[in-house]
Amino acid sequence: MIRVVLVDDHGLVRAGVRAELENPEVDTGIEVVAEAGDVAEAIDEVVRTKPDVVVCDVHLPGGNAPAVIRGVVDRGVTAKFLALSVSDAAEDVIDVIRTGARGYVTKTIDGPELVDAVRRVHEGDAVFSPRLAGFVLDAFSADLDAPADPELDQLTAREQEVMRLLARGYAYKEIARRLSISIKTVETHASSVLRKLQLSSRNELARWAADRRIM
Amino acid sequence: MAAAIARELGVEALVIRVSFVVLSLAGGWGLAFYAIAWLVLAVAQPRQLAPYRPSPKASSPFHRYLAVAMVVLGLLLALRRVAFFVDEIVFPAAFVVTGFLVAWTRHRDEDGVSAVVRILVGVVIGASGMIAFATLSSTNVVDALFVLIIAVAIVAGIGLVATPSLARIGHDLDEERQSRVRADERARVAAHLHDSVLQTLALIQRHADDPVRTAQLARHQERELRNWLFGSGDQSPPGTVRLGRALEEMAAEVDAAHGVPVKTIVVGDSSDLEPGAIDALVAAAKEATVNAAKHSGAKRVDVFAERSRDQVEIFVRDTGRGFDPTSTATDRQGIVESIVGRMERAGGRGAVHTEIGGGTEVELVLPIEVAAEPEATTSVQSPQPPAAAPVRTDEKKGQHR
Repeated sequence: MIRVVLVDDHGLVRAGVRAELENPEVDTGIEVVAEAGDVAEAIDEVVRTKPDVVVCDVHLPGGNAPAVIRGVVDRGVTAKFLALSVSDAAEDVIDVIRTGARGYVTKTIDGPELVDAVRRVHEGDAVFSPRLAGFVLDAFSADLDAPADPELDQLTAREQEVMRLLARGYAYKEIARRLSISIKTVETHASSVLRKLQLSSRNELARWAADRRIM
Repeated sequence: MAAAIARELGVEALVIRVSFVVLSLAGGWGLAFYAIAWLVLAVAQPRQLAPYRPSPKASSPFHRYLAVAMVVLGLLLALRRVAFFVDEIVFPAAFVVTGFLVAWTRHRDEDGVSAVVRILVGVVIGASGMIAFATLSSTNVVDALFVLIIAVAIVAGIGLVATPSLARIGHDLDEERQSRVRADERARVAAHLHDSVLQTLALIQRHADDPVRTAQLARHQERELRNWLFGSGDQSPPGTVRLGRALEEMAAEVDAAHGVPVKTIVVGDSSDLEPGAIDALVAAAKEATVNAAKHSGAKRVDVFAERSRDQVEIFVRDTGRGFDPTSTATDRQGIVESIVGRMERAGGRGAVHTEIGGGTEVELVLPIEVAAEPEATTSVQSPQPPAAAPVRTDEKKGQHR
């Protein structure tokens, strides 16, 4: 069983997400062990229950998802974070991912997709929505200042290809077939892109995201 | 009257009024000036009614106030030589009047702190006037000292008593202004929600038995609200057509017309594209999207556009039933032809990748003539790096909504 903590300030949303994750009709293999409605509560619950995955809304009373992630890490607890939000503003997405979330999905996602996303995050993979893949392509291709660490600050040709297909709406399985590689390899590429996004030394990423906000 | 002069000079009307009052003390000359100014301005007004324009190189307000003060002082000194002028009365009285007016008149947009400062300054000026009067009008030094002490005590007392309440008044006004701003904002949001969300909810209730229509209404509303909340392309510089914006509009249109969600993702900056090129791309993409929405049976259509250095690529993809590209009789073949044909006329190319049961993807490619490298041209160009799309970081806002 994958143990999950749900963080969202709307009880109705939590109930809905819980119903999808614990859907008795299909064996999801997911158990929601706790719910929380704000940042402090979320940190306490995660520290108390030590779940595998935290499904976390981005905007919360008393802070936002990055605050929860930092709070949990500060208390020495490891959990994987999947951000779930109505907002797909670049600023929010990049912020959450850079703090260490393993995936970002919007609330328009349907039940099975969400279950799949939780599973994948639990297995250590990255979860990219097409939009997130689009942001990544955009951020890494942008003509920013000379990269400090080319190793981290650029995508390889293969990674770019994977991101491009993700942005075009392909599932991992379809990408694997199209590029004649295994799903595992696709997942590896996605994870390494996520790692680059998290570790990249480009402060410009933040600025790029902030620019996106004002349009 | 005073306001007109004040507008001309770019100072507060109050300052001008104080000036006139002070000058009136000097044997009534201020009244005479006022009358003259009124006549002059009344004659001049028809053509001089230009609205107040703060002169661009305008000195700071402080300098302007200082200038007015100097003029008044100069006039006083000049009038001193004329008549009806008693030094011991006019100067102290001028101080007292100025002080009181400064202390009593509230500035349009000042906060609590500056109100207190203003009141204190006014009290000090007024007090100096009283003290000067007491000292000058009395011959007896002891008497003068006594009067002075009393005056100081009175002023200090008034100041002590009045300051906190005045500060509170300033604070209250400040708060009231803020809550008014908040109320305005709330009214604006309420109006918008009423016009959009509430209307849609009413429509949804009416179509409750039609899930497709309901979902469509909800999606349309979501898109609209999202646009409103997270800004929009409205702020893009006038005259620029943006591929991302155009594609989003296209997506919304197809969504509304056919009830299939269309997700658009745009990467890279397309602000330097010719409007004609964008029109061709969007028109071809629209045909592909409508096609997918109408025939594929897929639950959603993905539109992905990417601007790289020398070309724009658009992919319209569905995971629907696909079709047999070799069969020519279907009407879809005609649409395919029109997509491909359209792209070729625009100088690009189009291709349709599909198989029965395997979904359809339409690929549109438009090469872009990249401007020659800066060193190869003699024309004056902005110092952009030769590689990659120019004007990237600042121009590519507004595409990811």
